[in-house]
Amino acid sequence: MKRTYIFCFLFLLFIGCQKESILISTKASEVFYVENLGASMRVFVEGNTASHIFILIIHGGPGVSSYFYDTKYISTHLGDKYAMVYWDQRNAGASQGTSNGKDLHLGIMVEDLKKVIEVLKFRYGQDISLFLVGHSFGGLIAADFVTTPGYQQMIKGLINVDGSHNYPLNDTLTRQMLLSYGQREISLNRKESKWKPIVDYCLAHSGNFSEDESMQLEKYAGDAENLVDSVKKVNITNFILRYAIKDAYPLTAILSNLLYSEDSNFNKELAVTQFSSSLNTVTVPVLVLWGKYDFVCPLLLGEDFYNRIHSTNKRFAISPVSGHNMILQDNKLFCDEISAFVSQFK
Amino acid sequence: MLKIRISILALLCSVLCQAQIDSAFHFTYKFSYVSSIIYPGLSTGAEIPLLHINKELLKKSKPWYFKERFITGNLNWYHHPGFHDNLYITAEWVLRRTRYRGFISEFSLGPGFSRTFLGGTTYKVNDNGDVSVIKLAGYNYAMITIGGGVGYDFSMHKNLPFSSFAKMNLITMFPYNSTIYFRPVLELGLRYSPYKSRHRTVKGPLTTLNQK
Repeated sequence: MKRTYIFCFLFLLFIGCQKESILISTKASEVFYVENLGASMRVFVEGNTASHIFILIIHGGPGVSSYFYDTKYISTHLGDKYAMVYWDQRNAGASQGTSNGKDLHLGIMVEDLKKVIEVLKFRYGQDISLFLVGHSFGGLIAADFVTTPGYQQMIKGLINVDGSHNYPLNDTLTRQMLLSYGQREISLNRKESKWKPIVDYCLAHSGNFSEDESMQLEKYAGDAENLVDSVKKVNITNFILRYAIKDAYPLTAILSNLLYSEDSNFNKELAVTQFSSSLNTVTVPVLVLWGKYDFVCPLLLGEDFYNRIHSTNKRFAISPVSGHNMILQDNKLFCDEISAFVSQFK
Repeated sequence: MLKIRISILALLCSVLCQAQIDSAFHFTYKFSYVSSIIYPGLSTGAEIPLLHINKELLKKSKPWYFKERFITGNLNWYHHPGFHDNLYITAEWVLRRTRYRGFISEFSLGPGFSRTFLGGTTYKVNDNGDVSVIKLAGYNYAMITIGGGVGYDFSMHKNLPFSSFAKMNLITMFPYNSTIYFRPVLELGLRYSPYKSRHRTVKGPLTTLNQK
């Protein structure tokens, strides 16, 4: 027994002597986790941490992972100048926990984001400049964050990329865009067999959308994007094959989390969530980037966001070749616009 | 994290240590490399034979293959960079068939317990905004493993108490983010059966406990 005690004592000493390494360099690549309410959320920091300028990506979903936003192009064109921060939200990507589904709420995710920012400042210095990039559902978290009193002071600027700040309005505009675009395509005899069921569905469902209707509209929005020849197509399978091993994707965890989040009751809460009425409190510099052919979050949603915020420094840029995934479909415009925006307001 | 991994490695090695080899059971020891695509790991364990049945083809007196049943205890670990290190123990019910040419096929199923260690420093922020580091952050999960594999028993034709095997396991951990985490794990390894060596040496019949 004596030997066991000595072994345990030495083991505890051994593990108690860990020293954490934080890399301040032009080519940082490090992972840390932030724990909050039963979820340990992965945060990957890559690029130029020596710049003291951090661009935090808030991924879409809910349940999609930040792994899909970390591309070679972004690493080269933004990561060389700034530090890119990829945060996996709770129940998404590589984030881990046990029975934490009850805490899957938008308000808690906003608190998660606040804690991620506080940890970034703890690690890299209170003086770092921080910019948020909200994509799709990440736009909803970002909208909630910047409209929470006192929170927008934590950041230097907000970049909204095809983000949704108002889910009920989002559904209405998606239906409107699908209907008008579909009817036009049918009248021009272009892919009418594929557009017809979409148009028929939109005509049969005119408003006050249920969760199922909302999901169906989103599915048709994704289908519609693929029917537009002007949209640059992205092959997700090829993308995963290209990056899965290099970036050590935990593929089955990503899949489990995605399936859980997609079916979660959380989506019922989101279906009635909107921040249009409180966007007038936003005063930080804002960049809005949108895909012209985004049916999932239509362009008019971006215009609504842009028109409602009270920021004196704001800019709206539209990609003519993008749908909902502008970050991948028009990576040059994405990086150029963000680079210019960040260098102006850092 | 490196120190944790070294400690886990030492723990895995210590499982194989044994002062006295004689026992009522004929243990078989296992050591293997486990891998999910490119993420490495190790596994070690022991098997306790429960049953051995010779099967013969009709009208042939020579046994064609034998069936064995085992209970195994395993200590496993894998490292997935940036995600987690997983140290898990499993107890499995193993059904194995060994042909007289030496080829093995097997199936296993059993419960387990997993302890993960997150793949990076883990922070906690309190309501005042104070940041602290959580030591050895990770989670405990219940597990079920299921697997099947093939191998070759060198003791059938040579005086070698070893068998090699390749096995595909599916490990499931729960509750993982209120759902189930699953992970395919390929296992490549060797089994060492000291009792087979002793039986071969004395040129006696191959016997196991509960032989029929």
